[in-house]
Amino acid sequence: MADYKEAPLASRPQTLDPREYLELSPEERRAQEERLAIRARLKLQYLSQLNDPHRTELIEDPALTRWSYARNLNHIYPNFRPSPKTSLLGFVCGVVPLFVLYYVFKTDRDRKEKLIKEGMERPFSLTS
Amino acid sequence: MALRVSWLRSLSRDVRKSLQLARSSDKYARAASSISKDMLPGPHPRTPEERAQAAKKYNMRVEDYEPYPDDGMGFGDYPKLPDRSQQERDPWYTWDEPDLRRNWGEPMHWDFDMYIRNRVDTSPNPVDWNTMVKTLGGFVGLMLFMFFLGELFPSYQPVAPKQYPYNNLYLENGGEPDKEVPEVKNYKI
Repeated sequence: MADYKEAPLASRPQTLDPREYLELSPEERRAQEERLAIRARLKLQYLSQLNDPHRTELIEDPALTRWSYARNLNHIYPNFRPSPKTSLLGFVCGVVPLFVLYYVFKTDRDRKEKLIKEGMERPFSLTS
Repeated sequence: MALRVSWLRSLSRDVRKSLQLARSSDKYARAASSISKDMLPGPHPRTPEERAQAAKKYNMRVEDYEPYPDDGMGFGDYPKLPDRSQQERDPWYTWDEPDLRRNWGEPMHWDFDMYIRNRVDTSPNPVDWNTMVKTLGGFVGLMLFMFFLGELFPSYQPVAPKQYPYNNLYLENGGEPDKEVPEVKNYKI
């Protein structure tokens, strides 16, 4: 197992990365430890709720609540601010399609109308 | 899965006139509104104290916490997590939610529902991106070119107008039997 090759849908795990053992600085190690500590605290909270025999309800996940609230309009609209980027996006998505689609449909329909008037196109003809 | 039903939950909960508890994640006797306002996402943090508070709120390290840039797009203080799909995470670790490969309380990516295992996947590819693009572009371009050539130079079985016997069906088409019957020869020997 000395030669680990990354498989098509599996990237190299952290425990087999030579960088982890050879080049990691103490600050990075400390950061990893802190992340592990946070994860362990959350795990403890979750498991104590999960295995509590007196629990009768679902375990509520505040991260999930926050995520769904963040994507709600109640959070997005107060944080919206007209800036160059948002104005440009609004213009491109809201105003430009009106004109572009009007132009495209109008020219296409006019062309068809011209052909039908000349008799070159017969959309509902029954005899041929 | 009942993911986006926070409003439904608060509707169905009994309105209990109990005190609002400070830590909403521990006890089961809750007030009518389940989570307090300071635990929800808020506006973009401006001072380092606000950043520290936001990092604590989202269960992240202060150094790891990076909000979206404040250009008015509506993200607020939601953290900007790396764009990695759930498929990339370790399949053998005992996640709290094994299907989603996620632990309880872990901050979710803004596009989490896009990065689930059934959808967009950012795992490493067997071939590198440029090779893939070139292969696809080459194939599609070649096919388009061949179809274009086929429109320019069509090739099909030879066809001719239909030929009828008996002098092009002269009598059947209403010709007089006494009149001179025009001789029509549809063959050549």
